[in-house]
Amino acid sequence: MAITSVREPSVGGPPPPVRRSAWGITARRRLAGYGLAAPGTAWLLLFFLIPAVMMVYTSLESGGVMTGYRFNWAWGTYPEALAGRAVFFGRSLEYALLTALGTMVLAFPAVYWIAFYGGRRKSTLLFMILLPYFVSFMIRTVMWKFILGDNGPLLATLKGWHVLSADFRVLATPFAVVMGLIYNYLPFSALPLYVALERIDPALIEAAKDLFANRTQAFLRVVLPLSLPGVFAATLLTFVPATGDYVEAEILGSPSTRMIGNIIQNDFLVNADYPKAAALSLVLMLGMVILTSIYARFLGTEDEIVAAAVTA
Amino acid sequence: MSEYHEQPDPDAIQAMMRHRLTRRGFLRTAGMGVAGGVAIPSLLAACGGGGTSGKKIWDAKEVFSGQPGDMINFANWPLYIDKAKDSDGNVYYPSLAKFTKETDIQVTYKEAIQDNPVFFGKIQPQLSAGQPTGWDIIVMSNGWESYVMMQRGWVYPLDTSKRPTFDKYAVGWAKDPNYDPGAAYSMVYQWGLTSIAVNHDLVTAPITKLDDLMDTKKLPPASVGMLVDDMKDFVMKNLGIDPVTSGPPEWKEAAAWLLKQRDTGVVRGYYAQGYTDELTAGNVAASMAWSGDVVYYDVWGGYSNLEFLVPEGGCCAWADNMMIPAYAANPVGALELMDWYYRPDIATGLQIWVMYMSPCTATKQGFLDEAQAAEEKGWKGYASKLYTSAKSEFIFPSDEFMSQEVSWMRQLKTQEEKDEWDAIFGPISEG
Repeated sequence: MAITSVREPSVGGPPPPVRRSAWGITARRRLAGYGLAAPGTAWLLLFFLIPAVMMVYTSLESGGVMTGYRFNWAWGTYPEALAGRAVFFGRSLEYALLTALGTMVLAFPAVYWIAFYGGRRKSTLLFMILLPYFVSFMIRTVMWKFILGDNGPLLATLKGWHVLSADFRVLATPFAVVMGLIYNYLPFSALPLYVALERIDPALIEAAKDLFANRTQAFLRVVLPLSLPGVFAATLLTFVPATGDYVEAEILGSPSTRMIGNIIQNDFLVNADYPKAAALSLVLMLGMVILTSIYARFLGTEDEIVAAAVTA
Repeated sequence: MSEYHEQPDPDAIQAMMRHRLTRRGFLRTAGMGVAGGVAIPSLLAACGGGGTSGKKIWDAKEVFSGQPGDMINFANWPLYIDKAKDSDGNVYYPSLAKFTKETDIQVTYKEAIQDNPVFFGKIQPQLSAGQPTGWDIIVMSNGWESYVMMQRGWVYPLDTSKRPTFDKYAVGWAKDPNYDPGAAYSMVYQWGLTSIAVNHDLVTAPITKLDDLMDTKKLPPASVGMLVDDMKDFVMKNLGIDPVTSGPPEWKEAAAWLLKQRDTGVVRGYYAQGYTDELTAGNVAASMAWSGDVVYYDVWGGYSNLEFLVPEGGCCAWADNMMIPAYAANPVGALELMDWYYRPDIATGLQIWVMYMSPCTATKQGFLDEAQAAEEKGWKGYASKLYTSAKSEFIFPSDEFMSQEVSWMRQLKTQEEKDEWDAIFGPISEG
């Protein structure tokens, strides 16, 4: 579906006023284009560009709360902020990757079933997936802490039956943090996948079967490629925010599950070391941009265009 | 973007940094900046971590002249004030209600502080930009953040002639604390001890000394809570170092102990708050703790499995202080309310509820009077709890206990000290 920037005047409509010059029309159309782009531009300027520039500026300041902060191109903050922090970047990437995979594994079969076999109840079923997320994010996460407590309702019972050993625990482990992330990001995976799968015409699968494809082949050759835009969107929507997340690690984790988000939060709010926090945030942001563009190269744009062309 | 490609004008930035910005000043400079192509740098100087160095000098007599305003905004910690229910079941604060009745000044009380550095981080941008924080009274512990605020003129110096109740009832040290000589900027709200709390259901052997907190034979894996701000001084004290006079070599000694402890895998978390939930939920077997929290749970909460104890090496003391942030709207009223909390009946009511230590010398008698009155009404359980509490060293510490077991904490005084301290201790809680 190509989007043409300026459409030709329709042939069947009323004739254009004679006196209006061609220049006038294009100028107005061009202005209209800018007008339509204005909200988006303002959004990017206000919520991305200005904060990003402020972040760069802050990262190049030096000083402290007692002496005040001074802008003096303090590039030295970067190596200082990064020293010893590779482990947290690595851990964040690992947890975020597991989150993207985990949500995909859980969400794909569920929404596949809804999209192809949901019938008239599609929206109801989708709504049921979203239902838990009407409860506040914090409360849901803290409730996991209650449910999974070392002597909480679940583990105490299982320990009482001698199913689990007395010092078994879930909280304060990497498993608890990743599980919390998967749980909280599930809808961000389910919704784009649903949209992609719902768009697939079941007739295409029938056609594949007519052409002697078995179920697996039909899935691999027809459904999966057509769902790739959804897979792409779902991965981005879970992987990117999960990398910078710190809430699950804070509530469900332990000192050995701290993610880069925890480190930035700590530098910013506890140590009041704004330059370091800004430097780390910038490095994280740039890293994510690079990683996602590589990913987009492999899976994103081209397939999306092909898929869109096929469905169109 | 093209208009921003020029180098920012360094003189303009310097000027912005040097002069404290008023709001109008900020708008004007930002406006000029847009015209001159330096909009972003000047905006940043005003909004960012910015601010000037040096001290804003206030004249206490001038600040505290005039009549009190009719509203006080009071920021305090959770569960840190006396509460009661009226006949309709609405929760109210008796000490504040009485104040309003006597003075006609309304108090808006918010549990807005959970953590000293985090709260400081929230109000610091306003204060460094010369703007009001919205609070007339804040309660913060002695330590780096409070010290910075006093040094930089971010809290008002108090008019010491306007606190008669404080002069009469404040305990000796509170009139001249080491972190604020002459109590010139702050008045103690409550004070307390940092030591160890134990959940007797979960530890497998008695905890009596610091090293027990890394003894995996006495404690299950990941079952010890550490208090991230207090642990450095507490460990120093227990290693036989006086935290108050300590320097970088001693800090490194404490850091080495903390690292060793972390490497045993016994630490569940480095908490700023919230360790009490872990204790009561049974996730943590032993935790560094603040006296009042544990005593409260033990006495009023019915958690008889929790015990607050002082290890062989001793423990640390701290004070939470009421201060008036600069540019506050009602400093006169605020000082009146701060003085109010030294009235014996008010201080007693507060202390019975929070179970920390009172800076008012008359509260022990207050406990005994209250206990006697309760006994006469036949409330035996309540009376006996008050009698026991009146004897507790953790609520009414004796001079002997204080001098033998308790140290105050290190007051960091310069940015260099603070940076070195963070460099030594920072990596421990990062995990």
